[in-house]
Amino acid sequence: MSLRCVAVTGLGVLSPIGNNPKLFFQNLMAGQSGVKKINAPFADDLDCKIAAYIDDFEPLDHFVKNKAATMDRVTQFAVVASQQAINDAGLDLEKEDLERIGIYLGTGMGGAASIEEGYIRLYRENAKRLKPFTVLMAMNNAAGSQVALDFGFTGPDLTFCTACSSSSIAIGEAMRQIRHGYADVMLAGGSEALLTFGTIKAWEALRTLADEDQTDPSKSCKPFSSDRSGLVLGEGAGIVVLEDMEKAIARGAHIYAEIIGFGSSNDSSHVTQPSIEGQTRAMRKALNEAGIQPSQLDYINAHGTGTKLNDSTEAASISKVCGTGIPISSTKSLHGHIMGATAAIEFIACMMAIKEQSLPPTANFTSPDEGCELDFIPNIGRKNVRVHTIMSNSFAFGGTSGVLIAKKIS
Amino acid sequence: MDTLKTLQEIISNKFDKPIEEITMEATFESLEIDSLDTFDIIFDAEEKFGIKVPNDEVDIKTIADVVQLLDRLRAEQAK
Repeated sequence: MSLRCVAVTGLGVLSPIGNNPKLFFQNLMAGQSGVKKINAPFADDLDCKIAAYIDDFEPLDHFVKNKAATMDRVTQFAVVASQQAINDAGLDLEKEDLERIGIYLGTGMGGAASIEEGYIRLYRENAKRLKPFTVLMAMNNAAGSQVALDFGFTGPDLTFCTACSSSSIAIGEAMRQIRHGYADVMLAGGSEALLTFGTIKAWEALRTLADEDQTDPSKSCKPFSSDRSGLVLGEGAGIVVLEDMEKAIARGAHIYAEIIGFGSSNDSSHVTQPSIEGQTRAMRKALNEAGIQPSQLDYINAHGTGTKLNDSTEAASISKVCGTGIPISSTKSLHGHIMGATAAIEFIACMMAIKEQSLPPTANFTSPDEGCELDFIPNIGRKNVRVHTIMSNSFAFGGTSGVLIAKKIS
Repeated sequence: MDTLKTLQEIISNKFDKPIEEITMEATFESLEIDSLDTFDIIFDAEEKFGIKVPNDEVDIKTIADVVQLLDRLRAEQAK
């Protein structure tokens, strides 16, 4: 069987700056930040009192009471974003062969809130037992499995857990399922809902979280800027519908782009410190598969976490592989670092950039850092520009890199 | 504490079912409550009544099955 082309035909997103792709991208272009003060009671006991959270998601708008109570927030996000993506793709599931549809989902912490709630009951409240749904809500594959269950997909279903690159790997591997003929349609992306007291404290201990901007907390994440101090944790979900190109064309679907390259690798050097060798290896693999030169890229959505080390390493890696002329931005400056979902959400930003022929900015950029002197689209997005081919970088603790390349089809 | 009334409240609250549908004759199948959800109902009932339902006793089909089970265990475990 010859290799098939893979189209992106649907997008779904829940994010701190909008719960649909259009609003999400509008806010990116407007520089609207989703970073804010945490308003939970536990915030008093945090050193880092900011996060990029979703404050307008009501589970009962989407699920009956009993079902909502037995699904962790991470699963609720995944199902709702999947429904959006299916609707956006115009897929009529009653007419589809559900055995040929699968779901590949990335998540970093799975049902973090359910695990923490269980521990609170056991260790703080001295309960003798836990609620019956604890395992089913907490397990890492709960979200992906629930998507398969709710929509009746009986094709491939895998959960990828490679920290910050989880959903890049999920999209890349899902693309391969279609390319090699194992499925005709794949939902792929990520979901994350880790803003619990215990998880934030664990991140605090790693000393990677941003200091709060004392003038304006919403400006605390400053990727590639000389005054950057770290990342800001976020929550949300991003799901894309991938489809065999011939099938998508035959049914007249809107095609956002074709995924033409995917590269993954492990740094195999340090659990947290990124490596230029690892990052360049993943970018080159993706470019090789895409069969394009770096000069053909119109935009790079950087991993750009806002930590000192990530951003300087990534800038060096991009310079080494792609030179210095390609516009780059880190949209994490606005939606935060959504861990297992962040790559998918950033890939959706790229799909919208192609659709709108506009490039979102790196917000909160005050001054270039030595060694980070590339075109980071500082603070103001660019409208009416050519955006045909994009690359989306994701690099993770544990060393797993994922790089996706997609192009507009004519 | 009335067993049926308490059970009706648990089920009605959890599944948004009208109390009048939750009769002694009603089956969990007719109420569209699956076996996993019955574990959740039993869990809440155990908390309310301060009893422990053994694992080999949770094979239940109707509301009457649960009421009889809970009444028996309340009597046994009160001793």
